[in-house]
Amino acid sequence: MAQAIIQENSILHGDYRKIVFAVPEMANTAKAGQFVHVRIDERLDHMLRRPFSIHDTDPAKGTLTVVYKIVGAGTHILAEKTPGECCDLLGPLGTTFTPCADDVVPVAVAGGYGSAATFLLTRECKQKVVLLIGARTQSELVLDDAYRACGCDVRVATDDGSCGVKGRVTALIAPLLAENPGKKFFFYGCGPLPMLLALAKTLRELGLDGELSMDEIMCCGVGACFGCVVKVNDPASPQKWHYERSCVDGPVFPLEKIYLEH
Amino acid sequence: MADLTTKFASLTLKNPVTTASGTFGYGLEYANFYDLQKLGAVIVKGIKSTPSDGNKMPRVCEVAGGMINAIGLQGPGVDAFLHGDHYLPALKKTGATVIVNMWGTSVGEYADVAARFDAENDGIAALEVNISCPNVKAGGAAFGTDVKLAGEVISAVRRAVKKLPVIVKLSPNVTDITEFARVAEAEGADAISLINTLSAMAIDIEKRRPRIANVTGGLSGACVKPVAVRMVYQCHKAVKLPILGMGGITCGADAVEFLLAGATAVSVGTANFVDPYAPLKVIDFLNDYLDRHHFKSVSEIVGALEL
Repeated sequence: MAQAIIQENSILHGDYRKIVFAVPEMANTAKAGQFVHVRIDERLDHMLRRPFSIHDTDPAKGTLTVVYKIVGAGTHILAEKTPGECCDLLGPLGTTFTPCADDVVPVAVAGGYGSAATFLLTRECKQKVVLLIGARTQSELVLDDAYRACGCDVRVATDDGSCGVKGRVTALIAPLLAENPGKKFFFYGCGPLPMLLALAKTLRELGLDGELSMDEIMCCGVGACFGCVVKVNDPASPQKWHYERSCVDGPVFPLEKIYLEH
Repeated sequence: MADLTTKFASLTLKNPVTTASGTFGYGLEYANFYDLQKLGAVIVKGIKSTPSDGNKMPRVCEVAGGMINAIGLQGPGVDAFLHGDHYLPALKKTGATVIVNMWGTSVGEYADVAARFDAENDGIAALEVNISCPNVKAGGAAFGTDVKLAGEVISAVRRAVKKLPVIVKLSPNVTDITEFARVAEAEGADAISLINTLSAMAIDIEKRRPRIANVTGGLSGACVKPVAVRMVYQCHKAVKLPILGMGGITCGADAVEFLLAGATAVSVGTANFVDPYAPLKVIDFLNDYLDRHHFKSVSEIVGALEL
């Protein structure tokens, strides 16, 4: 737990914001896929912490960056904060994405601002990350430019066709494979649950492997309350699944654990 | 510095501050934050005879001044808890004083689980019998809101347990909680703990759906504290049993209210989610408060409310 000083809290576009915390102890240790659990308000009205994927870190400057969307009371309060104010952070928490071997191409598959959670892979993986990003419409694409700035191959799908291919992000996988015969890929997914389940199904059908970051409403963030569970495959159980905590057993789960019938 | 040592039934606790069941996992989740021996006791999440999945998602939502949960007592079952790597064997190594919260879906299961913990009690200081979870259909509140059934469960557990102190956790979702406190006393409980969460509900008006899948859940956090203090006060007047008081304790001043109302010890619950160090801050405040008011021992303020 640390008091982090806000260095920047700026508008990316629309309801998307970028907040930079000065918090050296976390900037040094955070890995792709992990999150920080942020106390938004000292008052009791919105007392529960909010989990945010760690978008980026700069160990030299001691900073940690989160990208968030204003969706509810907590993120509204966060958006009002100004540089110099402090936030109480728990973290880095949760399981990490596993950087793939040097001869494997890392492919981040993001729904909306799920692209925030996979960005550290651009620093952790030897090969350039391919980003497949999907959103309802162009204005909901987030951080695609940041990936391009790192030299990543960025491919876009939108539901309404306003940018990139018209359709779902999973439709971008087959063409990527077709263009690169013989290459090995490993997939990293983050986004809304229906998108992740579709991604898991597609990867399995194509015989591909990967890891997905499962997002649930969270309470304690440290495994104590069992409020944030997700169903994972369990062949030994009669119902073929059991619950695991997305905060400590996840948020990153290997593809083989993803239970499709949520 | 005042003496925080707390005699609670047959237990001697280092201080009166414990962690409420369901808000502190199996203890180890918080062992990275501080030495669990600093607490009066760790009360672990409820255990029954077999593993249980708990309720569907979403299970929690925030409301003004608190939260609603319907976890549904997900747990590993008694065998895994007693012998599994991530449960009691590891918790014992921390040196913490451990109180095991337990439940069942029938009077027989309550007795069986209690007997099992009593027989394999190495590392267990006491049992807290949960007859008050509002989020499981069979068990929990079915027993805790019916005086006759509550009496049967407490009596069966009492007969099954020879060594460990039995603390009965009461539900606030009743017209008169003192009836249940009196039943606990009559059936031989060593102590009572109160309150469990208040039955509650919240609605997402955009989706026109309940905000938790179970529709209703248990309200906890700062917003329930005045109700809890009132009930502790009433039970303290009604029975001689020691009371473990809880419900919305967020800071040391809150804990003092419970002690003054008649609680011998307290549990910090939802506040753990906000600040993992909340129980330690309560202990520090108690020390300061007792010194400031020239009390030599925390026991001097138990029930010391002046009317």
